[in-house]
Amino acid sequence: MATTYLTLTNEVLTELNEINLTSANFADAVGIQKFVKEAINKSIKDIANEEPQLPFFSAGVSGGTDPFYGNVTVASVAGTRWYLLKAGSSNITTDYSSVDWEDFYITTINVSGESAPYVSKGLKFLTVDDWTRYYRDSENEDDANAEARGEPRYVIRSPDNRKFGLSPIPDKVYNIHFYAFSSPTALSAYGDTITLPDQYANVITAKTRYYVYQFKENLQQASFALEDYKKGMRHMKSNLLNPQPKNISDDRLYF
Amino acid sequence: MARSQPYAVPLTGGLIKSNNSLELLRSPGVATKLRNFEVSIEGGYRRVNGYSVYSTNRPNTSNDVEGVFVYADGMIACVGTNIYFTQDGSTWVQINKDSVSASGDNYSTFTGRSGLTITGQDQCQFALYEGSSDYGEVIITDKSGSNKPFYFKMTGTGDLNTRTYYAKQITVSGSLTAKFCIIHDKHLVVAGDTTNPNTLYISGTNDVDSFSSTGSSSVTLEDQIVGLKSFRNELFIFCQNSIFKLQNINDLDNIAIVPVTKNVGCVDGNTIQEIGGDLIFLAPDGLRTVAGTARIGDVELGTVSKAIQPLINDIMTSTDTHQFSSVVLRNKSQYRMYYLKSNDTTATARGIIGTLRPNGWEWSETLGIEAPAVTSGFNSSGVQKSYHGDRNGYIYNHDTGNSFNPAGVSTSILSIFQSPDFDYGDLGTLKTLDYVKVFFSAEGEVNPVLRTRYNYGDSDTPQPADITLAGILPPALFGTATFANFAFGGVEEPFVRQALTGTGYSNFFKISTEDTNSSYTINGLYISYRPSGRL
Repeated sequence: MATTYLTLTNEVLTELNEINLTSANFADAVGIQKFVKEAINKSIKDIANEEPQLPFFSAGVSGGTDPFYGNVTVASVAGTRWYLLKAGSSNITTDYSSVDWEDFYITTINVSGESAPYVSKGLKFLTVDDWTRYYRDSENEDDANAEARGEPRYVIRSPDNRKFGLSPIPDKVYNIHFYAFSSPTALSAYGDTITLPDQYANVITAKTRYYVYQFKENLQQASFALEDYKKGMRHMKSNLLNPQPKNISDDRLYF
Repeated sequence: MARSQPYAVPLTGGLIKSNNSLELLRSPGVATKLRNFEVSIEGGYRRVNGYSVYSTNRPNTSNDVEGVFVYADGMIACVGTNIYFTQDGSTWVQINKDSVSASGDNYSTFTGRSGLTITGQDQCQFALYEGSSDYGEVIITDKSGSNKPFYFKMTGTGDLNTRTYYAKQITVSGSLTAKFCIIHDKHLVVAGDTTNPNTLYISGTNDVDSFSSTGSSSVTLEDQIVGLKSFRNELFIFCQNSIFKLQNINDLDNIAIVPVTKNVGCVDGNTIQEIGGDLIFLAPDGLRTVAGTARIGDVELGTVSKAIQPLINDIMTSTDTHQFSSVVLRNKSQYRMYYLKSNDTTATARGIIGTLRPNGWEWSETLGIEAPAVTSGFNSSGVQKSYHGDRNGYIYNHDTGNSFNPAGVSTSILSIFQSPDFDYGDLGTLKTLDYVKVFFSAEGEVNPVLRTRYNYGDSDTPQPADITLAGILPPALFGTATFANFAFGGVEEPFVRQALTGTGYSNFFKISTEDTNSSYTINGLYISYRPSGRL
């Protein structure tokens, strides 16, 4: 069972020799207890800010609707370049917190009316600057001209970070798969659980202690806690982001 | 981590009600609540003893007990409109008998006499003239102002039915009555006649039942008399707004009334007691000592109860008339004053305990002891006995046992000690408490409850739950220890270490019990804390 907000709060309070909360008075916490509660949410956000693509921030399970790489699928529309990364999101506060721009994939598999041979390839990331410099003018010269459309080769990030664009403008429907990560939802009720695996709960408590010791003007303890947090983050990233075998390949050719 | 700091507090000073919270920061050993505790003459605060029913056989049903007095090998009790003597509480001999022979009645004749009518008997005062008889002669007056002084003497040392009894009303002059009586230098002195409330009547020399024989006289003062007390070679006369002393009672040519003070009077004669070489009494502005007042001659400086002035003010400003009683427990250097409003019950009955310590008076409170009549004295065997009576006709052994027993029902003693807030030297620094060591002297197994409150109990500061300090045992001593009731190898004054949680700028501790366990003394506190910022 994942660690609850109450458990996490009490772990910190106990470490600080402060009075523990109960499920009955959790919502009415005051003083240092309230500060610890808030610091826990702040610490989780710190973790998300520092490494937003940790697996537990994933917006969904990969391959949930399609056996392709990605946890979000957007269907292109012929003649439309720009698409909201998160469909239905009204503004940036509800958008995904992070997107893996190096991992966009386009395919016609599972697109209605399509049959083999399918289009199925990765989209290269193109910066807005490059796209502006090399493609925008020509592609927009007559964007109503269907002849100018084609099979997208590049994905572009909109400057407002809310949309992705395809270049060239799609000539038909494609499924675009990518990986997205959500912002952590702030813990609120005493029974709310953290999304992190239990073994990494101490990363949250370390950062929380950092904040509390700062609050208590105990800078030495705060620096110790910060070191604990950094070490915990290193381990967490090492374990969760780079779990593949460590080897080096040499692809130089000798003649 | 910030280094732990020690803070030791010996508990001394008693209850303080007259200092504000900042003043109290400089006197951490005192108590802001000290209910059903007494200041121990050995230091620390001791939970009071309880009281037990002297006899379930009440002398006069549920009538108010108006007075109790240790006499001979038993006690005299004034209950309702009668007066009784008993040796053991099982047999109550009515002693307000009429037409008793001047040479004394034997038991059967005495008990067969008709009762002497006592009208509307109120709180009684007793005066003992020891003389040369077996047990001395007792004179009883009551505050109703309706009765003449009552005289009683008993001789003989065998069973009650072998003794001789003397009883009568003393005629002071015509139909004069008396509310107050005292024996002073071979004389009985009475006062408080309803039509002559400012006149003092002095009996003949060594002739306490005659106010016409040699040495008798009367003196009229300018103020109404509310109490009398013999102190050394002078008789102190307490009036409502002044205090006088009578000198040279055996020299009628030089007999003199000397004013002690005309600024201070006595609220109630039942509050006057002698203790520690001084007379203590309740004045409108607090408990005062006569010697102090006489020496200083100042309204303020003679008051010894400034520490509990708000309690005194509550009594004085109450619209209810209080019924006062007082007693001195000599073995504890203790003055106890009980006060009752007309609608008080046993549960709401209050009292004040003053203990005379080397540094002066230290105070505490009682709750749950209804004692409109209370006494302490030595019986014919030289044993100190303390009794009190309630408004339900019961008489109790005062200050004994581990429970209150109103009407014979064992009731828990709710005792509360609360320290002032400790700031540990700086009210602006947050302190995280690590642990407290409470130094106890337990007289049996006790299970006090420890409460810690931060920042004066501020509701915006997290406050920890109460902690029961369970199973504190007294140390085992050779010859007295029994299995499971004592701590073998324990020290005489063990300390209980209790881990604490929480942080605050200041905090207080409250230690309480509400049970019928043994008494215990809290001697001091040792707190380990860590400074943790100033925000």
